[in-house]
Amino acid sequence: TDLRLSHQWSTSDIRHKVAQMVADEVEAADVNLHIRIFPSGSLFKAREQYTPLTRGQLDMTVLPLSYAGGQHQEYNLTLMPGLVKNHDHAARLIHSPFMAELETILNDDDVMTLVPGYLAGGFVGKDKCITRPSDVSGLQIRAAGKAFEEMLSGAGASIASMASSEIYNAMQTGVLQATNTSSSSFVSYRIYEQAACYTPAGDVALWFMYQPLLMNKTTFDGLDDAQKEALLQASEKAEAWYLEEAKLEDAASTKVFEEKGVEIAKMTPEDFEAWRKLAAETSYKAFVAEVPDGQKLLDLALEVQ
Amino acid sequence: MDPLVLGLIVALATVFVLFSGIPVAVGLLTVSALFLLVFDGMRSLSLMPEILFGKLNDFALLSIPMFIIMGAAISSTRAGADLYEALERWLTRVPGGLVVSNLGACALFAAMSGSSPATCAAIGKMGIPEMRRRGYPDGVAAGSIAAGGTLGILIPPSVTMIVYGIATETSIGRLFLAGILPGLMLVMLFMAWSIYSTWSSGNMAVLGQRSYSWQARFEILPRVLPFLAIIAGVLYAMYGGVATPSETAAVGALLCVVIAVVIYRMWSISAIWVVLRDSTRESVMILFIIGAAGVFSYMLSSLFITQSIAGWIAELEANRWVIMLCVNVFLLIAGFFLPPVAVILMAAPILMPIIQGAGFDPYWFAVVLTINMEIGLISPPVGLNLYVINGIAPDIPLGTILKGSLPYVACMVLGILILALFPGLATWLPTLVMGAA
Amino acid sequence: MPPGTQTAATASPVPRRDTSHPFLRLAATLSRACGVASALMIVASILVTCQMIAVRFLLNGSTTWQTEFVIYMMIAATLIGLPYVQLLRGHVNVDLLPIALPRRLRLGLAFVTLGTAFAVIGLLMVYGVELWHVAWARNWTSDTVWRVPLSIPYLAMPVGFGLYLVQIAADLFAVASGRETPFGLSEDR
Ligand code: NA
Ligand code: NA
Repeated sequence: TDLRLSHQWSTSDIRHKVAQMVADEVEAADVNLHIRIFPSGSLFKAREQYTPLTRGQLDMTVLPLSYAGGQHQEYNLTLMPGLVKNHDHAARLIHSPFMAELETILNDDDVMTLVPGYLAGGFVGKDKCITRPSDVSGLQIRAAGKAFEEMLSGAGASIASMASSEIYNAMQTGVLQATNTSSSSFVSYRIYEQAACYTPAGDVALWFMYQPLLMNKTTFDGLDDAQKEALLQASEKAEAWYLEEAKLEDAASTKVFEEKGVEIAKMTPEDFEAWRKLAAETSYKAFVAEVPDGQKLLDLALEVQ
Repeated sequence: MDPLVLGLIVALATVFVLFSGIPVAVGLLTVSALFLLVFDGMRSLSLMPEILFGKLNDFALLSIPMFIIMGAAISSTRAGADLYEALERWLTRVPGGLVVSNLGACALFAAMSGSSPATCAAIGKMGIPEMRRRGYPDGVAAGSIAAGGTLGILIPPSVTMIVYGIATETSIGRLFLAGILPGLMLVMLFMAWSIYSTWSSGNMAVLGQRSYSWQARFEILPRVLPFLAIIAGVLYAMYGGVATPSETAAVGALLCVVIAVVIYRMWSISAIWVVLRDSTRESVMILFIIGAAGVFSYMLSSLFITQSIAGWIAELEANRWVIMLCVNVFLLIAGFFLPPVAVILMAAPILMPIIQGAGFDPYWFAVVLTINMEIGLISPPVGLNLYVINGIAPDIPLGTILKGSLPYVACMVLGILILALFPGLATWLPTLVMGAA
Repeated sequence: MPPGTQTAATASPVPRRDTSHPFLRLAATLSRACGVASALMIVASILVTCQMIAVRFLLNGSTTWQTEFVIYMMIAATLIGLPYVQLLRGHVNVDLLPIALPRRLRLGLAFVTLGTAFAVIGLLMVYGVELWHVAWARNWTSDTVWRVPLSIPYLAMPVGFGLYLVQIAADLFAVASGRETPFGLSEDR
């Protein structure tokens, strides 16, 4: 059996490596199951992967689940400021009743999760450091994700929306004064050349995005037992690796920025609480208002210690 | 089936379908539908509208109609004539001065319009009748304008550079900068050839007879000001922190329309509608090709053809310049038949890994690709600039236009060779302004 | 020089289209309305983009909905503009073969290409309707703060392709009834 896996990242990206690992493991298991990876959006554009996945036109994908937040508002909780504190907390969240609820929604769309995983990110300022809400007031900022836009807007920042590929240029010419995205994107877009200060994910971080390896459920159910077993085992192995690498990713990006002479700022637990309080008044509130049962889901997520 | 064999079949089918006279975009959709149905089954067919929609779901595409409107608005006014007149008064003493001023006007106009046919039309409407009146041969008059007009996509802004930037995920601001020096180089080559050919033809006496007083020369300069204001305004918006390159296009379009209405008194609704109609027609045509080419490249990728060709060429381990030569020949041939946007979109996903694998700079390659596309614009059977010349001077036979533009094609080939020897021509300016790539 | 595809010249001549039959008149009128709609959407995109730049650069305000608005406007302008460009014979093509063929074969080829175009665009319209319906029935929105119901931008697909079909059918009818020449080429070549 041949399966097609699509994602938007380059072949040096951690998320490609997760996919590659599963593909290699399954190949090694010798169960007549082959996964062909289409990287860098060479098959589907980033945001156009979820729908074909639900219809079995695409077998597998590594996808920030919040990209499908327009189809299921619940997915927006997977990119919600302050919901995840650090990577170990993320690992606990992955195996909580909260994530089980999301899995039910995925299953209803004929999709299942193979490898769950969170990646973290931080802030970059063109002229100054951004650690607490008052720092962003009056700045033009490009945020990754709807919930972050709502929170930053609540902190008095002005939101500019543009493609991530335009961030570098916009920071250089001064259209943008700050931005927030994942650690790996900061490095791959060489934002360090245009930044005065970087606030990476550390002991606490605000920006965590759930980016699992997903599969079409009917396709999975159609595999024989040996193939299913091989796939699940490969996925389990990949999950552990994903978590370890995700932690290293933050440190690696910090090192790159440091080497380029960019100031590194640290977000204290007090700063984190201030952001979280602001998020509760802005993005959490908007989420609960938009989603039936939203409060229940949010509480489930917040319960995870 | 082996993807390489399949690729060959797709290529033949595409040539066959496109030669039937079906619109290029519809032809690409037809081939895609056919191969998706046969090799992927019904389930892939239903994806077609989604993929087409998705390809158009990109803010950067906004700049295509915007840069087309800029050119159309200005060329519907007297501005092109003013520019042309000014250059002529200053360059009249040069052998072939009228051709040289036409080429200069094309280059300046290209700095405002993102489209080659628009550039060609703007200058040609004045330039071709004037050159013929003054005794220049039809071939020289039509050929120089056809070729000069192609600068529209090399000198920024450029619709094809935008499409390349989107297809290869390279920076559009950088691509624009990369086109400036090669654009100037081409203009100079074109001018050098014009001066030489007039001088060697021996009838300079006829061609250089008119002269202007210094007063006449300075008198006309203020009329070029709106032109320079637009260029300065757009550059300031793009590199001065006002807007991103794609957003800047809208500023430029608005600026051009306002200047056309206020300074050149283009009051009537019908005049404005003509600008809008022509811009809409060209933009929709290009954007539809972009969407259809997106479906086509989905089909190529889905059948694993793109990846197999790139892998196959990488395995050949051919000399990088041999690869570059083959790529150029391929682009030239494709350019004969297809409009630039279609070539770029169909070829970019296959060529990019090859080009970068062979160690060529993607911005340098963008310039080489663009010059190839410029040649395609003035070669039959599908040459957008040829259609424009035909519209301006229907009595000049195609053969005469082609013969007239052939020396300029040679200049473009020479330009590509110079770029191969001195890649810095394309890469130096972007690095200077925006840092290392 | 092939006059079949008039492209992109400024103030380029608009091809004369036959309207001696009510269906041809109806199709041409619909297509022209599409052209006006498409042009107005492009104008709206210019204005909204400039508004966005002004809000951001002059007022230092938030600009969350503009890019999305402009993207959907451009998609709609493209899809709704298709029939108008067909009416103007503005969809660029390679007409080497049609020109080379004798009259009768050229007529046959015109039926084949127009018929193919009708089938392929029809396919896109059918699946476009399906996609629109799913987005509408399941209440899909964009994943931004603006949360546009996707059934609005998706509507451009059924409408644009549908009206494009009407214009293609009109072209087929005009050629079949001898009112227009195949590919719009003059017969004396
Ligand atoms: Na240009
Ligand atoms: Na050509």
